[in-house]
Amino acid sequence: MSGRVRRRALAAAVLLSLGSGLVLAGPSSTGATEPSARASAPAYSETKTLQRVVTKADGSLQEFPAYTVTVTADQTTDLRGRQRIRIAWKGAQPSGGRASNPFGESGLAQEYPVVIMQCRGVEEPGKGEKQLRPETCWTASFAQRSQITRSDGEAAWRHDLDADEADKGRVSGLDPLPGADVCPTADIAGYSTRLTPFVAASGKVFPACQADQMPPEAAVGAAFPAAELAAFTDLDGRGEVQFEVRSDVENESLGCNHETACSIVVIPIVGLSCDQPSSPPTASDNACRRTGRFVPGSGNFASEGVDQAVSPTLWWAASQWKNRFTIPITFGLPPDTCDILDPRAPTGFYGTELLAQAALQWSPAYCLRKDRFKFQHNQMSDEAGFTLMENGGGAAALVSSEQTQVGLDPVGYAPTAITGFAIGYVVDKPDNAGELATLRITPRLVAKLLTQSYLGSDLGRGHPGMEGNPLSIMQDPEFVRLNPGLSQINQEVGATLLSLSNQSDIIRQLTDWVMQDRAARDFVSGEADQWGMVVNPNYEGLALPASEIPLLDDFVPETGNTCRQENPAVYFNQIAAPVTTLRKISEALLDAHPNVQTRCELDADTGLYKVGRIGRQSYGARFMLGLVSLGDVERYGLKAAALQAAPGKFVEPTESSMAAAVSLMEPGDETLPFTLDQAAVRTSSKAYPGTMVVYTAARMQNLDEADAAKVAQFIRVATSEGQRPGPGNGQLPAGYLPLRRTGVTAGLYAAAQDVATAIGTQTPPASTLPDPVDPTTDGGSGGTDVPTTVPDAPAGEEPPVAEEPSEAPAPVEEDTAPVAMPATTAISSRTAGLLLPLLFLGGLLGSLAVAGTRFLVRPPRQG
Amino acid sequence: MNRLLSVLARCATATTLAVAGVASVPAAAQAATYAQIEGTGSTWSEVIVQQWIADVDAAGMKVVYTGGGSTKGRKDFAQDTNDFAISEIPFQGTDEQGNADTSNGRSFAYLPIVAGGTAFTYQLKVGNELVRNLRLSGETLTKIFTNQITNWNDPAITKDNNGRAFPNLPITPVVRSDGSGTTAQLTTWMDKEYPSIWRPYFGKSGLTSYYPKKSGSRTVSQAGSDQVMNFISSTYGNGTIGYVEYSYPVNKNYPVVKVLNKGGYYVEPTQYNVAVALTKARINTSNPNDPSTYLTQILDDVYRNPDPRAYPISSYSYMVIPTASDDPRMTTAKRQTLADFMYYSLCAGQTKAGPYGYSPLPLNLVQAGFDQIAKLGKADKDVDLTNRDVRSCNNPTFDGKNLSNNKLAQIAPQPAACDKAGAGPCGTSTGTGDPSTDEGDGGATDEGDGDGGGGGGGGGTDVDTGGEVTTDAPGSVDPVTGEVVGGDTGAVSDGAAVYADPSTVLVADRAGDTRAFAWLSGLLLVTLVVLPGLYVSALRRRGSAGARS
Repeated sequence: MSGRVRRRALAAAVLLSLGSGLVLAGPSSTGATEPSARASAPAYSETKTLQRVVTKADGSLQEFPAYTVTVTADQTTDLRGRQRIRIAWKGAQPSGGRASNPFGESGLAQEYPVVIMQCRGVEEPGKGEKQLRPETCWTASFAQRSQITRSDGEAAWRHDLDADEADKGRVSGLDPLPGADVCPTADIAGYSTRLTPFVAASGKVFPACQADQMPPEAAVGAAFPAAELAAFTDLDGRGEVQFEVRSDVENESLGCNHETACSIVVIPIVGLSCDQPSSPPTASDNACRRTGRFVPGSGNFASEGVDQAVSPTLWWAASQWKNRFTIPITFGLPPDTCDILDPRAPTGFYGTELLAQAALQWSPAYCLRKDRFKFQHNQMSDEAGFTLMENGGGAAALVSSEQTQVGLDPVGYAPTAITGFAIGYVVDKPDNAGELATLRITPRLVAKLLTQSYLGSDLGRGHPGMEGNPLSIMQDPEFVRLNPGLSQINQEVGATLLSLSNQSDIIRQLTDWVMQDRAARDFVSGEADQWGMVVNPNYEGLALPASEIPLLDDFVPETGNTCRQENPAVYFNQIAAPVTTLRKISEALLDAHPNVQTRCELDADTGLYKVGRIGRQSYGARFMLGLVSLGDVERYGLKAAALQAAPGKFVEPTESSMAAAVSLMEPGDETLPFTLDQAAVRTSSKAYPGTMVVYTAARMQNLDEADAAKVAQFIRVATSEGQRPGPGNGQLPAGYLPLRRTGVTAGLYAAAQDVATAIGTQTPPASTLPDPVDPTTDGGSGGTDVPTTVPDAPAGEEPPVAEEPSEAPAPVEEDTAPVAMPATTAISSRTAGLLLPLLFLGGLLGSLAVAGTRFLVRPPRQG
Repeated sequence: MNRLLSVLARCATATTLAVAGVASVPAAAQAATYAQIEGTGSTWSEVIVQQWIADVDAAGMKVVYTGGGSTKGRKDFAQDTNDFAISEIPFQGTDEQGNADTSNGRSFAYLPIVAGGTAFTYQLKVGNELVRNLRLSGETLTKIFTNQITNWNDPAITKDNNGRAFPNLPITPVVRSDGSGTTAQLTTWMDKEYPSIWRPYFGKSGLTSYYPKKSGSRTVSQAGSDQVMNFISSTYGNGTIGYVEYSYPVNKNYPVVKVLNKGGYYVEPTQYNVAVALTKARINTSNPNDPSTYLTQILDDVYRNPDPRAYPISSYSYMVIPTASDDPRMTTAKRQTLADFMYYSLCAGQTKAGPYGYSPLPLNLVQAGFDQIAKLGKADKDVDLTNRDVRSCNNPTFDGKNLSNNKLAQIAPQPAACDKAGAGPCGTSTGTGDPSTDEGDGGATDEGDGDGGGGGGGGGTDVDTGGEVTTDAPGSVDPVTGEVVGGDTGAVSDGAAVYADPSTVLVADRAGDTRAFAWLSGLLLVTLVVLPGLYVSALRRRGSAGARS
């Protein structure tokens, strides 16, 4: 690429990024699934023609088909660490032998993949920039960059047409080669070795000949997974990945930051080009000419060997390296951060995880200012946070609906952020044709998942009352009709939506949406769907909406499997296996690692039969659904399903669909939360049903003066500067709809300011004060979101058991003779049981008879 | 044209940079350089560790932590695949299977990070109601987990509950299937306190991280604390009992067993009771130069703490940090992150221990923790540890006068009289984080030691996850009138849930009555549907008859 072209590309990228910034700020804005975002020109796009050439024995060239490949990237500037960039390509050679996991070392056993990695430096460096080269490209393992002690049949690189003579030697890559003390296996006579050392940002050179000669960040099987991958091209020549970039905070040795320019390198593997073979050809001559063992589109889940010449392992070889696309990226300035030595004690706000991503960006905007306080968001259930706030354990609670009030102090709810939940998914299309881009979900499908009405596998077939049900959602005709063209091969995980085990307002709103749908309601109440699927009898008539999904099944399959006999468990509960936080669900989706706990095997070490979580899903065969927050959807680049609003209308979470839902919200009385009536959502064709408002709830009386001031300040700041979209400190991350003074959010904004004042001055509106005649607000019967909790008994109530004023002192167990207990029997009377309905029936018949005589026997009045 | 574009672009970039530069000025001076650190291990302490990780993000620290069990954490540490591990027990040298359990030569130090109680959570229903105030002695618990006591109507359980008998229902112990520090805590306690019961079952002495489930018993195993909690709280879980850190039942508002202590009281692992118990923990400080023992805990006196408030199975969780100057995974920035993450966790981070179901560390252990952190500075002189000590520690639970005192233990309320062996049982719910005490107002056995908030909210610093009961529980309180509603009154008057009183057995759910009421409601429904129609049709007939005439 010439300098001119590059400069132009850069300029375009900068302009584009500014442009997209403007779009972000505008009212119509983004959301990953918004079509308009996709339609806009990519931040990077380049097209190249790639061709493999092999020299024949006579010296002439044999040309393989040429591929004209176009690579695009959606964002390239002002990036943050761990940000995900969408990289897509078309026109590439279809891949074969797909690995179950394309990342890091495990992606090596594939053919014709597209290698994508992050490198320090740029092409044609300007002032202060460094040249990009294989030695500055990051890999998490040495096997991805070096070839150690290979036999001649595995030394294809030694015949690379474009390689320098020095690189065709038996040992090459680092001159001089490190001694046996550093790389004991590198130089062994009769074997070939090629090192691609890694040069850290500090200048330190790691020979990369074995695991301990790699930089500190490199590790296989670490908690922090590899980002670089060998991605799969489908049969149409297309492919797409979300590539996670790493700043110097995540990867110090790679060292990319706002001062050190870096690039993402994309190498579509077309195979080595080879020099003239010896006569007769050597094993390595032949190895260089191989064209692959796997047919395009096939899988290689068993990690069988692949042809080296077309595998991703030799990406650094000159004839492959020259095919690279280099996407220059720049990192934004690191955000200012709170000082760990700040002597101010943090002020804890307790509550919903929906605010997590916003709170992360907001916190520094508080701690960095002397006139503000040290804000901390402690994640727990809405209800637990509210209780803490009421009893003084937290300054304020962060909740998404009206909570049952226990204390006497009136509580005000200030709208603070507009966000919501999504049904996140990762679903691969069959035949390695890429990831599914749009998933449609109806309330009834969610009802089927939450009520454990799919059988999971043959193990579930014995469950009484639902023998004819599909094994999983992928085999459910309702799902297939909505989402055609997907694989119907059963997986246990298709029988569940990974959800929360604890109480949450999110579950309440999700189930409210479900129950507004007639078909879903009928299903839960026991009516079969048109294909004959019925609700799991253990869930029939389940009282919904509710803030918690109970695990109600009790079916333990009978099986000849020793491990299952040793560990009898409710099969459907093992499949559902809900977790305690939304973050765990997001991570499970990101890793395509279902939380299904049906693995059952003998542990050789301990000789015990153990149950546990099943393994990660293979790329190409992924299918998983999970309940996630919209903040996480945007932060991690998850895919969010379109949920049914009006019949036949499926709505994805976007800013406009969230705004449409906000416009349907009804204000609560005075300082109470707004409510979103799902019945109204059902009439809308554009409102997103999962839209939720996070409220800052605090006492409007008897709150400590300093805390009151902090809470009021938080509400005011959060609803003003906290609503500017952006990735920076104090700004609003994606996944949240800006709450503005004008437009559909005007009502929420005004309510926030009123409540801020009421809390700040500790003067609640008169109507919210408890009144002996007309008790607080509407006593919990009005709002649609009142949880079914009841307050603790007032203190001072009679203790349940008479207390013996301690007679005998310490030693205990002996001095109480256990009370002799009769066997517990159920007391009932059949006569009385019969009598009651009979009496009622008698009365009914009597009154009917009387009425009958009045109306039927008495002659009509004379008109 | 191109020129113009590039000029424009340059201007734009310059402006952006200028704006950003101005914004960044104040931070540049103070920010330490951090690099991401990664850890694995315990699920016992995972709940609070994840919250700390969220907290320090604001300070620019990136920490990645995944559970997977203490055993996995120690193994990963030995294999250099993490930057720190969290474990309830130290490296064992050789584990119970004879496999190596060492750091594999990687230099390390132990660092206590948080205290807590290993709670026994259970599901036991009487009629249709969840028992929320079960009491058990250590001996009974040990016999349950060694399959000697197998039914909830066992006389030993009846005796623990002062004569209250539970239904004839088999006990299903739920244990961990993965290598777990929680299992190690439990088995250490059983081995020390009830060797004559535990050792014949285990077949040897000592602790184990892998629970030795016996073939043919009702015991089931589950991977991770989340799944233990799911198994027990599911409908199928009636009759189950398992062990998890107290935070799990607290976050789910699920009951835990009150365990009999040597003081003669049945107590719950609230932050107070754990703090009291751990005042008797012997921390091995004999040789600061021996990393394999320094700061490890000897809990024998905790198990036998005679204080009536002490929760016997209390312990600390530890972080294992790499201390070598040539550690293969460590860099200056990573050490700095580790040091500051721990500085935050040991100080300000301890304030939220209670709400999350843990108990804050006493100051002497925080102090010792700082000494361990100092080893990071010793390994690398570029690590900045200035001003990071207990004096600047932002932890209000500390007693400034005596470092080894735990203020929390001093203010811990005495248990309610009805929690005493031979008395009660109390009707108050467990698993809420609230202490069961008579202190506070008017000798009520319920909570109410708080800020006099009237409606019985809970103590000032406690978390109360709601006091939720199913709506038809006997003794539910009407939110408007404050009256006890539902069920037969008299038996329970505290609004929590049923407790082990046979009189409630009878009111809870009478199978014989359901049919009668089902018929009744059926008839009522028919009437509701039919009667208006009949009435209207009758009226119409009358009307038309009238018109005709």
